[in-house]
Amino acid sequence: MNQTYEDFKNNVLNLGVDVTETDFNQRGYHLEIVLTLNTIREFAQKAYAHGFYLVFVTGFHVLPQETEGGKTSGLEVVYQFAKYDRLFRVKARVSVSEDMTVPSICHIYHGANWHERETHDFYGIMFSDHPNLEPLLLCEEDRDYHPLLKEEKKLKSFEAVSWPAESPDMADIETQTSSDL
Amino acid sequence: MGEKTKGSVIKPDLESYTERIRAECYSGVSDGRMNLDAGPLMRMELTDKLLKLCQANSLWPMTFGIACCAIEMMGTGMARFDISRYGAEVFRPSPRQSDLMIVAGTVNRKLAPVLLTLYEQMPSPKWVIALGNCAISGGPFNVKENYNIIEGVDKLIPVDVYVPGCPPRPEGLLEGILKLQEKITGVRHPIPQNRHPDSPQRKVKGLEL
Amino acid sequence: MRESHFQEHNRFFLNMGPQHPSTHGVLLIVLEMDGEYVLDPQPVLGFIHRMHEKMGESRPCQGFMPNTARMDYVCALPYNHGYVSLIEKKAGIEVPKRAEYIRVITSELNRVASHLLWLGAYLLDLGAFTPILYGFDDREHILDILEDVTGSRLTYCYYRFGGVYQDIDDKFVEATRAFIKRLRKRYDIYEKLVTKNIIFIKRAENIGIIAPDMAIRYGITGPNLRGSGIAYDIRKNEPYSVYPEFDFEVPVGERGDCLDRYMVRVREMEQSLRIIEQALDNLPDGPVRSKVPKKIKLTPGDCNFAVEAARGELSYYLVGDGTGVPYRLKIRVPSYSNLSCLPELGQGILLPDLVSIMGSLDLVIPEIDR
Repeated sequence: MNQTYEDFKNNVLNLGVDVTETDFNQRGYHLEIVLTLNTIREFAQKAYAHGFYLVFVTGFHVLPQETEGGKTSGLEVVYQFAKYDRLFRVKARVSVSEDMTVPSICHIYHGANWHERETHDFYGIMFSDHPNLEPLLLCEEDRDYHPLLKEEKKLKSFEAVSWPAESPDMADIETQTSSDL
Repeated sequence: MGEKTKGSVIKPDLESYTERIRAECYSGVSDGRMNLDAGPLMRMELTDKLLKLCQANSLWPMTFGIACCAIEMMGTGMARFDISRYGAEVFRPSPRQSDLMIVAGTVNRKLAPVLLTLYEQMPSPKWVIALGNCAISGGPFNVKENYNIIEGVDKLIPVDVYVPGCPPRPEGLLEGILKLQEKITGVRHPIPQNRHPDSPQRKVKGLEL
Repeated sequence: MRESHFQEHNRFFLNMGPQHPSTHGVLLIVLEMDGEYVLDPQPVLGFIHRMHEKMGESRPCQGFMPNTARMDYVCALPYNHGYVSLIEKKAGIEVPKRAEYIRVITSELNRVASHLLWLGAYLLDLGAFTPILYGFDDREHILDILEDVTGSRLTYCYYRFGGVYQDIDDKFVEATRAFIKRLRKRYDIYEKLVTKNIIFIKRAENIGIIAPDMAIRYGITGPNLRGSGIAYDIRKNEPYSVYPEFDFEVPVGERGDCLDRYMVRVREMEQSLRIIEQALDNLPDGPVRSKVPKKIKLTPGDCNFAVEAARGELSYYLVGDGTGVPYRLKIRVPSYSNLSCLPELGQGILLPDLVSIMGSLDLVIPEIDR
């Protein structure tokens, strides 16, 4: 595409993370980056150095999976970054391990402070080194209640809610998915 | 905090919450049901009537905008709808100076104690208008998955007039004010403010106007 | 400021809100004060948290439309716009050109209404009562126009998946043109009343300066960002709908203080009028609604859609799972990030300046709390 785009991509690839180019017209962002817990801060620093601003941080709840590293918690943290000077949107996600803790990026992006508190409110994800992880939007007494966690029977696997590996046509999707709510 | 596990997905109990908040607010004051209508020690009928006329025609609402309805409440105070035609334009930012609370928006669990405190800070006699569906019943947020909204402000404080709408038009609020005046004095339009010179004289019970 | 003025006995905490006229809703700010100076303002949110995201995830996407208008009720149509565009993108629904034009016209009208309300409310915060009467006077004209076509005054649910609810008529076009003429005449009044008012300038100039690097750290968008000289507008940078077809400018400020943010909004109103004029001139004929299946299915996978609301970037981030109910719906609201800079912006300033800063940020609290 252009210089900034390639620069940033190569820079991030140096971190040893998974970078996928995506179709902007389909998904609304250009790059999808799968981070690991140790690379979040480095990635945020790189994004900050490239002049990205933080659009949002949020959580995402899917069915826990068995992986070689053990069972995952089923929770994901999704970050989105964008740029002021040109059209460039990046989505980064990281899956949360069983101990429910993710490194905080609020010392790099100060705005992440509230976003992370909100994610803690809604999903119960802990952010390490966060200065003030108190309930933000919910009541004080709802510390243990996380409204956006899904009930067991409504949980779907990560594959069921993500784009298929190669984009099939619409008819394929119709047959793949069940329509019960 | 390190070994924190996933929290519950069981909704908090909204019914008991309102009861509890009321109990906390009134603890040490009374049993939670103060007799607000006890009235003065001495009753003089004509003075009472006159006082009520004055109260009804100079309602001082509190500036307490919560959500969408507050914008319509502001609109009611502005030039086109002009709430001052009915004597209720003196919006006071302090509850201690006002006698009408217009609950203009959704009350959630975090706001409920605040609302009770504000209500208790208002001097008696005082009135409450529940403006909009949220204040009446929770409105569009009175749904199955509700975990945070108090379904009707009348679970917390006594309400005199309900004005439905989402949000109600300014005319709705004006009608609510007129209804409240009627409730206070027993007469609709106790003192017609914008009476046409040719319109017939109005009789208020016992008073020539 | 902190060191030189600090005296232990002068230090106290002040609760501003939740019931306070200049917090524009139920926002509590816990202020650590040193006499008249603010040391540390900490906003406390959640007094109007209305679980929009939870509702968005538990009902078919049609059922969420009314909610979109109740987040930022002052400028509801861009919220409608973002949501319908997102679902259309996800479900592959075509929108007739005329419908897109109508969407742009009504959205821009709504933006002007929002800025007018903000102008009045900001000046009210600063202690001037008269401008809000003028602002509301003009705003009522817009509400009349929009009410005729949408059916409601504030909380619109006018856009539908694949178009708009009903077509606009000649009366709408006439009234809109008359309003544009009227508002242009009123600029003079606003200029004399507010822009050149020395008291207002003293209350707004060089106060609450948002530097560009601060904007990046907090993710500030909208007029608050443009006041700092960064011309970032989703309508230009990430064009959606039919915005690329119109010729308009993105006004920017220089210093990033309250006065610049004021000027940006005032000049933005004129740009919105320009867009409306061009759209009315080139309004295409045709249907305003395309055929949409009764049950909209959202394909698996995530999708992001950003629009420029009156306060900045509004992003809907949706994850579909093949059913009609979104699996995850995140709403990124502009005021949330815009307010989050307040603890830094309000350090060591006078309390009345904090009121001025908060007014100039143009906050809508139910949008922040969602």
